[in-house]
Amino acid sequence: MTDNKNIIEMNNVGIRYGQGPEILSDIKLSLPQGSFYFLTGQSGAGKTSLLSLMYLAQKPSRGQISVFNHNLNFTNRDQLASLRRRIGVVFQDFRLLDHLSAFDNVALPLRVSGMDEKEIKKRVTELLTWVELEEHMFDKTSILSGGEKQRVAIARSVINRPDLLLADEPTGNVDNIIAGKLMKLFVELNKLGTTVVIATHSDKIINDFKYPRLHLQNRGLHIYYPTDTSMFGGLNV
Amino acid sequence: MSKTSYISRKQELPLKSENTSLFLQIIISIAVFIFAITLSGVLSIDSMISNWNKSILGSITVQIIPVNNTNKEKALAETMAYQEKAVEFLKSVNGVTKVTPLTDEQLDELLSPWLGDDVDISDLPTPRIIDVKISPDAEIDFAQLSMDLAQASPQATLDSHKLWLNKLISFADGLNLIASTVLLLVAAITSGAIFYTTQMSLGLHHNIIEILHIIGAKDTYIAQQYTKRMGFLGFIGGIIGLFFAVPAIFFIGNLALNIEGGIISDATLGFGDWAVIFSLPLFAMFIAMFTAYYTVKQTLKKML
Ligand SMILES: Nc1ncnc2c1ncn2[C@@H]1O[C@H](COP(=O)(O)OP(=O)(O)OP(=O)(O)O)[C@@H](O)[C@H]1O
Ligand SMILES: [Mg+2]
Repeated sequence: MTDNKNIIEMNNVGIRYGQGPEILSDIKLSLPQGSFYFLTGQSGAGKTSLLSLMYLAQKPSRGQISVFNHNLNFTNRDQLASLRRRIGVVFQDFRLLDHLSAFDNVALPLRVSGMDEKEIKKRVTELLTWVELEEHMFDKTSILSGGEKQRVAIARSVINRPDLLLADEPTGNVDNIIAGKLMKLFVELNKLGTTVVIATHSDKIINDFKYPRLHLQNRGLHIYYPTDTSMFGGLNV
Repeated sequence: MSKTSYISRKQELPLKSENTSLFLQIIISIAVFIFAITLSGVLSIDSMISNWNKSILGSITVQIIPVNNTNKEKALAETMAYQEKAVEFLKSVNGVTKVTPLTDEQLDELLSPWLGDDVDISDLPTPRIIDVKISPDAEIDFAQLSMDLAQASPQATLDSHKLWLNKLISFADGLNLIASTVLLLVAAITSGAIFYTTQMSLGLHHNIIEILHIIGAKDTYIAQQYTKRMGFLGFIGGIIGLFFAVPAIFFIGNLALNIEGGIISDATLGFGDWAVIFSLPLFAMFIAMFTAYYTVKQTLKKML
């Protein structure tokens, strides 16, 4: 285990589903602590797949991954759970527990880590109010609108101030004003030290916020920095 | 808008609305019903056996059938010789602590109520009797002893009532063994039913469990929700099963009492036995909890 300031390191990583071809090959990547990246690429390029490696929902079909300096090849189930508690995830399809209220969904990460219910109530109420969902706090998420669900999903991902935040299209279902507000939330979290990766199709967001971009193309990963004038002038890593 | 209080929060896994609940509850009720009745059988047979054992333990009697001979003196001498052989043999048996042939006076005393005081028993071909004391923790196979005794002294026989009781005990022991097997099987089937419904439920809620995992829930967190639910179903099922079993046990007990001979009346359920029977719902609860916990841990091990 090398002790460095990279939150995530990948080497020679490949992903394939079942017996299919690799959808990502030879991925090499280091995410320094406190960095902020966009993740881009055409639909089907593998953004969700790459993120799922980072939030430890699947193993790569080859290669090495370290998360918080833990080599995943040498990490047991309980350690995995502890690592996952330091990661906040906004899923592309939200993955809320629809039979539960917005409150219970957002409270989930705190309950899983055994926090006191009084403290949970305080924090969840505060955050749901901030994302303008106080009216729907005790509604089942199944009856919420797409944008409302998305805000619940985001609230759930940040409620425990994760060290790493991975968001898959987190602003796809909300209007520009709310999108801006949510982006500011991510930026604020980043300032407090959270490493952030956001998969997005939105050119507006990418242009408004000058962060480097991980771009998936032809099964490979390319990194572009905001100073680059041309998308095709980027570095190959 | 329902104001969910944070104390009565909902479980993440909607186990209460599962339609396997009713199935499980019925299975557990029937299992506890059968278990309770069989157990009451085992416990009463146990009490019966220990009552019989008490009457066997301590001492047995051996009779020496008098030898038939027109010459009385010779007959008596031969009979006494057989008695001597029997005494010698009995002294060599493991677990026998004391062997005392009854004297003429003692035999006289025993027989006088039947024959009157005027009869001189030495004139009659009366059997001789040997009192054999046995150590209480001796494990004696009376059937074998009876055969060995006949070998050593052809005129000697073991008290037949006790021999018969001993055979009855072997039979009851066998019955108990079968009943205990039934108990084990019923427990295993219940446990199996809980295992499969839990596994099915885990499959059904695969998505929720995956989300819980990604959020950082340990398997124990998920297992606890199953343990709680299955424990509840086990307990309620147990209560229902017991509710029907208790009258059934009394009914069977009454039938047994009507059997003549008093053998069955040695079978009674004591306070301790009833305590065990009434704790069956708790027992069902623990089996359910343990099985659910084990199943979840084993099944989730294979997940990422
Ligand atoms: N569970 C799966 N089983 C089989 N194939 C999969 C699975 N998940 C993704 N794929 C395939 O992997 C490729 C990459 O999918 P992925 O969801 O990572 O793309 P994406 O970049 O997130 O796309 P989008 O922008 O549409 O969300 C696709 O071709 C998809 O069909
Ligand atoms: Mg995707």
